[in-house]
Amino acid sequence: MLKYILKRLLIFIPTLFVIALATFYLSVNVPGDPVEQMLNSNNDAGSSAGQKASEQAYIDKRHELGLDLPVFYFSISNQAMPKNLYEIPKKFQRQNLNQFIKKYGNWNEINIYYNQVQKFSYLVSDIPSDSTNADILINIKDDVQNLFLENDDKLLQYTFTNLKSNIAKDSVLESSLATALQQTNFDYNQIKEKATPNKKLIPALHWYGTQNQFHQWITNFFKGDFGISYQDGRPVKTVIWKAVRWTLILSVISIILTYLIAVPLGIFSAAKKDSLMDQGISTTLFILYSLPNFWVATLLILFFGGGDFFDIYPANGVGQLEPTMSWIQQFWTRTHFLILPIICFTYGGLAFLSRQMRGAMINTLSQDYIRTARAKGLNEEAVLWKHSLKNSLIPIITLFANVFPLLISGAVIIEFKFTIPGMGKTAYEALLARDYPVVYTIVMFSAILTLIGYLIADILYAWVDPRIKFDKK
Amino acid sequence: MTIANSIELKQDYWSYVKRQFKKNKRALFSLYVVGFMALIAIFADVLANEKPIVCKYEGKTYFPIFNEYLVDLKIGKPYAELNNISWIDADFDFAIRPPIPYSPNTQDILNFGFVSPFGKQDVKSIRWRHWLGTESIGRDVLSALIHGTRIAFMVGLVSMSIASVIGILLGSIAGFFGDNRLKASRATLFMFIITGFFGFFYAFTFGKILLGLIIILVSFILAYLLGFILKPIPFFKKKIAIPVDILIQRLIEVLVSIPGLFLIIAIIAIAKPSIFLVMVVIGLTSWTEIARFIRAELLKVRSLEFIEAAEALGYPKWRILLRHAIPNSVGPVLITIAFGIAAAILIESFLSFLGLGIPPETLTWGKLLSLAGGGKSELWVAIFPGFAIFLTVTLFNLIGEGLTDALDPRQKK
Repeated sequence: MLKYILKRLLIFIPTLFVIALATFYLSVNVPGDPVEQMLNSNNDAGSSAGQKASEQAYIDKRHELGLDLPVFYFSISNQAMPKNLYEIPKKFQRQNLNQFIKKYGNWNEINIYYNQVQKFSYLVSDIPSDSTNADILINIKDDVQNLFLENDDKLLQYTFTNLKSNIAKDSVLESSLATALQQTNFDYNQIKEKATPNKKLIPALHWYGTQNQFHQWITNFFKGDFGISYQDGRPVKTVIWKAVRWTLILSVISIILTYLIAVPLGIFSAAKKDSLMDQGISTTLFILYSLPNFWVATLLILFFGGGDFFDIYPANGVGQLEPTMSWIQQFWTRTHFLILPIICFTYGGLAFLSRQMRGAMINTLSQDYIRTARAKGLNEEAVLWKHSLKNSLIPIITLFANVFPLLISGAVIIEFKFTIPGMGKTAYEALLARDYPVVYTIVMFSAILTLIGYLIADILYAWVDPRIKFDKK
Repeated sequence: MTIANSIELKQDYWSYVKRQFKKNKRALFSLYVVGFMALIAIFADVLANEKPIVCKYEGKTYFPIFNEYLVDLKIGKPYAELNNISWIDADFDFAIRPPIPYSPNTQDILNFGFVSPFGKQDVKSIRWRHWLGTESIGRDVLSALIHGTRIAFMVGLVSMSIASVIGILLGSIAGFFGDNRLKASRATLFMFIITGFFGFFYAFTFGKILLGLIIILVSFILAYLLGFILKPIPFFKKKIAIPVDILIQRLIEVLVSIPGLFLIIAIIAIAKPSIFLVMVVIGLTSWTEIARFIRAELLKVRSLEFIEAAEALGYPKWRILLRHAIPNSVGPVLITIAFGIAAAILIESFLSFLGLGIPPETLTWGKLLSLAGGGKSELWVAIFPGFAIFLTVTLFNLIGEGLTDALDPRQKK
């Protein structure tokens, strides 16, 4: 048994590693720039010094978040791609350069052009804005941004002619920018002339070592440091710890309720098989089982939670506890707030479990040893509770493994609908805000929980049914 | 597999299953209702549409709905004369309109803000009544429900087709070959790794899905052919077993351990909303159950006499798998597919309830349901789409139960 558990735990490692890779891969490829998101800066710096300062702030933040490292231990790319493209700080510019390389395949020329665009943009920001050139300057700044973010030939040609005509409108602008613009345009044409697109057809392997984002994240994760939330800069640990409480309360209550009601109900139903009672219970359970929980949540809120019908239960939040309240009052407040969510949380699993219990019980009751037990004159109670129950529990136990993932996904909709600040709501909001440190951590934790759930189910399985042996195969 | 032996009845497996299924009245009834709903889904455009089926305008006859199909297929042009008219208020000489004269996106500005189906409605005649009321900006609920049926059924069908193909293929490979029955020479394996690498490399370099798939396929064929070159070398000639069962089981374990809903939300949240993407993602994440089912089935089937006979006749393994083993074990998979369709429809409604995955202007059942707040007047918008989801899910679950009774030998009396 111990050997089996150890073996299973060993198998966990590659599985977890793959899950970590998958979530990480998704997060790297998402649109949006977390650094920009955290800085909330506007790029409209008054001078080149200001622009450089804001760029430095960006670089510092990027370093703080660990995003200035290469993504993974190695990268498989092509000969055209430089090894250190990740050193370009701004994500959108990096993506644009990536497209450039894919198109033309000559990093040297592209790099010269990129630096020239950078220089040109400093020149533009150094020009003081006055009443005569304000409008033109805004146009020029927009076009400079386009140079950073565009790679389409037609669009760039258009941008260059646009810049040229705008600069020509004002003599001060012309004197300070014309040559730089010409140089930029020349560099761009160089890219096109010296294009080597075939270079990208030869594969290249770049090795980065352990100084990479994935390594940093995964080692920190197992050290217990989950990073900081991109949304508000709080440590992920705090964010999740606060949220976990509510989901735990909800799910533990609902699991207990589910098993407490479902097991006796299933047994009762099976014992009175095909009676009117059984048919009634079975039909009700089947209907409950098919009811979508978000519909039930909507209807419960509509009818009982502050709608126009019966305003009995609050539909939002978890209630405010006053320190002056006695514990009964506190308990009562919480119950008052949590009763609707708990109903939503419980009914589906309850219906599912009762049906499984009934099926398993009926299956057991038709076995030969039960007939023997009855034949030797045991009363029905003893047959049910002593001989059938334990054997019928097997399918129920396997379901225990499915409870964890179910709870998390169930939590999303119920916490969202009833505005409970739990794991589901936190995860959902983090996902929408692309707050990946929070998302990673929750996904990893629920994966670990699920794997543990399967393991516990297997062990319980052997405990209930001694015929199942794991060591032999 | 037990096969019915009575002389007067048709003897093959599927007619037996059919007879068993028909015994379950609830499941049979559900199947009929699902068929009826499928008809609604297919004919949604002529059942609820603001455009007339046939109309005469300034002396000319038009078929606006059918013309739209032609335009969508790029073989027709939109009617230039009807370009700027309002379909609802236009002065047609005559027009045959669909039973529900509203498209799901038609905004009835006179009846906005959750008009009740039973209350007074500001409509021209009873022909224009909103039978199930309207939602906040005056879109007809019944029309949205009819078109939502199409989306729901498409989601169920497409995602489960994807899931079935992947699940049946991987599950049967795992079950049939196990850990030591799929053997390849070192030469082929070696070549597979090399051409596979280049295949994926170029597929990603060119970045086109179809081209990429072709490149990967070609690279695999190439690997097989190139393998023959290396075979004369003794080291490469040796055959080794590929533990496909372990590999596929691990893959399933990984997929099951990531909370599926998270995976779906994560993929959908970062991509451009499209209903097709939702279907593909649901399909790609829900094949594990099918794979497990068919794996278990194939473990049984592969030791049966007819497979041994085929092996004795010297048929290649792949042919035995595809022609003999899989066709004799897909029956039970139908059960998982029926339940899977219910689950897929549920997931899609759930996603659109959260406003994920579908373009903002598309009205699905879940989206419609999410529009309901707490007001008494909004009750109808909460009840009808919710009931539609509930009904469809229940029907597919009932069919699944019926199939379980008909197909699962354990429960046979």
